[in-house]
Amino acid sequence: MTTATAANDTGPAGVPPASWLARALGFFSGTVGLVIKIGFLAVTNSLAIYAVVVLLTDGHWISGGLVAVATLLIDVVYLGPWHQAVPLKFLVPGTIFLIGFQVVPLLSNANISFTNWSTGHNLTHQEAIAAIEENSLTPPADGATYTMTPARQGGDLVLLLVDEVTSKAYAGSKDGLTPLPPADVTIENGTVTAAKGYETVKGAELLRLDEEMGKLLIPTTGSSFIRAEGLSQAIELQPTLRYVPARDVFVNVETKTVYRDNGEGSYVSPDGEALEPGWRTYIGAQNFKKIATDPLVRDPFVRVFIWTFVYAGLSVFLTFALGLFLAIVLNKPDLRLQRLQRALLVIPFAIPAYLSVLVWGGLLNDDFGAINNLLGVHIPWLFDPTWAKISCILVNLWLGFPYFFLVCTGALQAIPGELTEAARVDGATSRQVFRKITLPLLLVATAPLLIASFAFNFNNFNNIYLLTGGGPLQADQAVAGSTDILISYTYKLAFQAGKGSDYGLASAVSIIIFFIIATISAISFWRTKSLENLT
Amino acid sequence: MFNIRTLRAILALAVVALAVVVVVSPATSAPKATPTIVIWADKDRVPAVTKVANLWAQSKGVTVSVVQKEMGPIREDLKTVQTDTAPDVILGAHDWVGEVAANGSVVPLFPSAATKAQFPAYALNAFSYGTAIKKLYGAPVALENIALITNTKLAKVPTSFADMEKQALAVKKKTGAAVGLSVQQGSGGDAYHMYPLFSGLCGYIFGTNSAGNLDPSAIGVANPKFLKNAGMIDTWNKEGLIRSSVDSSISKDLFLKGKTAYFFSGPWNLSDIRKTPGLQTKITAFPAIAGTGCKSVPFLGVQGLMVTKFAAAHGVDSFAKDFVGNYMMQPAAQLALAAANDRFPANTIAGKQVADKDVKAFGAASVGGVPMPNIPQMSSVWGDLGSAWVRSTKGPGSIPAKRSFIGAQKSIAQKIG
Repeated sequence: MTTATAANDTGPAGVPPASWLARALGFFSGTVGLVIKIGFLAVTNSLAIYAVVVLLTDGHWISGGLVAVATLLIDVVYLGPWHQAVPLKFLVPGTIFLIGFQVVPLLSNANISFTNWSTGHNLTHQEAIAAIEENSLTPPADGATYTMTPARQGGDLVLLLVDEVTSKAYAGSKDGLTPLPPADVTIENGTVTAAKGYETVKGAELLRLDEEMGKLLIPTTGSSFIRAEGLSQAIELQPTLRYVPARDVFVNVETKTVYRDNGEGSYVSPDGEALEPGWRTYIGAQNFKKIATDPLVRDPFVRVFIWTFVYAGLSVFLTFALGLFLAIVLNKPDLRLQRLQRALLVIPFAIPAYLSVLVWGGLLNDDFGAINNLLGVHIPWLFDPTWAKISCILVNLWLGFPYFFLVCTGALQAIPGELTEAARVDGATSRQVFRKITLPLLLVATAPLLIASFAFNFNNFNNIYLLTGGGPLQADQAVAGSTDILISYTYKLAFQAGKGSDYGLASAVSIIIFFIIATISAISFWRTKSLENLT
Repeated sequence: MFNIRTLRAILALAVVALAVVVVVSPATSAPKATPTIVIWADKDRVPAVTKVANLWAQSKGVTVSVVQKEMGPIREDLKTVQTDTAPDVILGAHDWVGEVAANGSVVPLFPSAATKAQFPAYALNAFSYGTAIKKLYGAPVALENIALITNTKLAKVPTSFADMEKQALAVKKKTGAAVGLSVQQGSGGDAYHMYPLFSGLCGYIFGTNSAGNLDPSAIGVANPKFLKNAGMIDTWNKEGLIRSSVDSSISKDLFLKGKTAYFFSGPWNLSDIRKTPGLQTKITAFPAIAGTGCKSVPFLGVQGLMVTKFAAAHGVDSFAKDFVGNYMMQPAAQLALAAANDRFPANTIAGKQVADKDVKAFGAASVGGVPMPNIPQMSSVWGDLGSAWVRSTKGPGSIPAKRSFIGAQKSIAQKIG
């Protein structure tokens, strides 16, 4: 009801628009406008300077530089005295946003698609080497554990240790272990609290000791060493792998197995054992090759591709058809409660799509859903491959028709009444009027929206994922279920197949989807142009 | 070239910009006075973690900042987070360990032998990962598993699976419910909640290699023993004992409203069960299915704390390791954290001190359970195994279980490659 009343209020305004518009223009082109402009520019500049400072401190020189250049460009265009620059005032910010939010993500996506970024390949090469070394540390068979107290001996950090088994006390420095005579140490609760010749580290200094303590390795026998583990314990550890920087290989200390860089971000032994973690690196067109050759990716691709077209195409066609039909029906001027009826039809549009899709999932439940219960039938809406496809399209129809209803209502009112009247006078039937006059004129206005809607539904991840999760998965289907569209299939391929996540592969598929949609849109827009020429 | 007005404008801009730089620069370069340990935890555990961690922090003279995140994002964000905002410690589930360790995001821990002796071997195993040598990557803090919850007003605690089947179907007939057991699936399936039935029919996910570690190439989803028993699934489907249309909210709703007598669920539903007036329940282990020779056991989930690689960069590595590998593994801290959200503590000494009878009952039902595989290949399993159950338990039009599970096995093998 409130919606209808609100709609009533927005009738023709009493004030002639030209006069207040003129006044507003006059008001804003003076000092007030200048102040506002400077205000906005100042805020923009402050944010930009903040961003540049943060970016440069983190070493992101390119992005920092780009932000600086873009901001300067905006300043020059807006503050410059030249009048030719007026169109630039609109073009420059628009272009910057286009680059920032469209081109940069696309390029970064393309960049990732040539890497092996995935579970197990998430670090830089240097980080991976450090992590492999760290992971290879193992307590030796007869290795001891100690309680530990950090102390200083003439400025050098020393760990005062008590063997947890033998209760013998030692002082550990970078030169090795020195036994402490029992007479010289005070031990409380198994931990050294004081030792002659050593000054235990206390208070605030203890809080800054982390890095220094982490670097202190107390050598014992062979390649083993004792290292602090936490704040009160130390442990003897032995590396099982050794990194040889000169040859860039890892060698197993015991078996002498050599692990070489395989060029795809892993150190691999001759018999194929890869050390974890690996690192992120460029692997050429491997991901694209995988899409073309891996049966797991290739086999369902065609099936998913066709369904994606059917889903997006039918969604657009049905939402447009229903929206147009309702718009024509409700366009009758003598209709009672016209505004109320229109408002009611827009309700599906007003409810957040996430919510509606989840609610529809409940309504369509086989045994417990309201729809089967009300109809007294047992239709497997979400559990049968064909019905699940129908459900996806029906739910999308519910979500999408109000949009085209609104658009068509607007477009219908913009078609001059004289045209249809003239056609009627010439003896055209209602059907002829609709087909020859109304529809073509309507299409000119709505064709770009139809294309956009197609592109949107082509990538409508939310509806599919929330309603069916791409399922049901048939016994002969590996990754893609019966209702998976390309984008949800990509998601599954990247995050639910193989070994954890595969961002590289996911980016490669997204790039392909981008080219598909770009091609379709380009062709459609080109065709629309010829439509415009017709009329 | 510039008029006065423009010059004034530029001047104003310069002043504002300068002010911002003055404000920003010290903020980005000022050193921290006391080290802060940043912990990522999920909503349910933030209050408990904050309380326990603050006790520790006060004794060490450091501060703790607990950041609330959803469970999923803790795992996902760890892959892409920048060092500045990265956590030093994360609270997570043991089945993440394979992925976060393979990514090099967490570091190994070496608690003392005395501390390790206070934990069941499987809990430590659950947080261990490695292809050749296994390392401990987390301190287990709480155990989590599902158990059989019986509405004692509607039915008796079953003595055998056949007894449960009989009573469940009798209740189904009486209440007119569409299903006998409240076991959740939904259209995507739920391999976790189906596991007691799966293991009871001799199904398993991964076998082990000669070193005793999980072997992703030995998939047991359609092993011969299971396939021999799979016919029972078709019977259960026919008689309406289980249904794939029962999702998490429906299964709970049916049980809380007294439409079903048996509920396969975990401690996360305890508070809702207690809140329901007139509902009397008893929590027990799952009864074994006669004739299979296998036990019906739940998946075991272990929650634990892990130290990230970022702790060293933040200069708090020794503090984080002390908190996780020492303090949090002690009985008192374990009891405080686990009890705060109805979970059973991982430390066995703490486990003996649990007072709540329901939490104790969940602990008892975990005996013989199987830790959820923690290797990254597990991500290939959930969907296929869950869908195999869905295909065979959707009522009319279901596929024979044997065919369905063979399909799942094939698909999993293909994905793991």
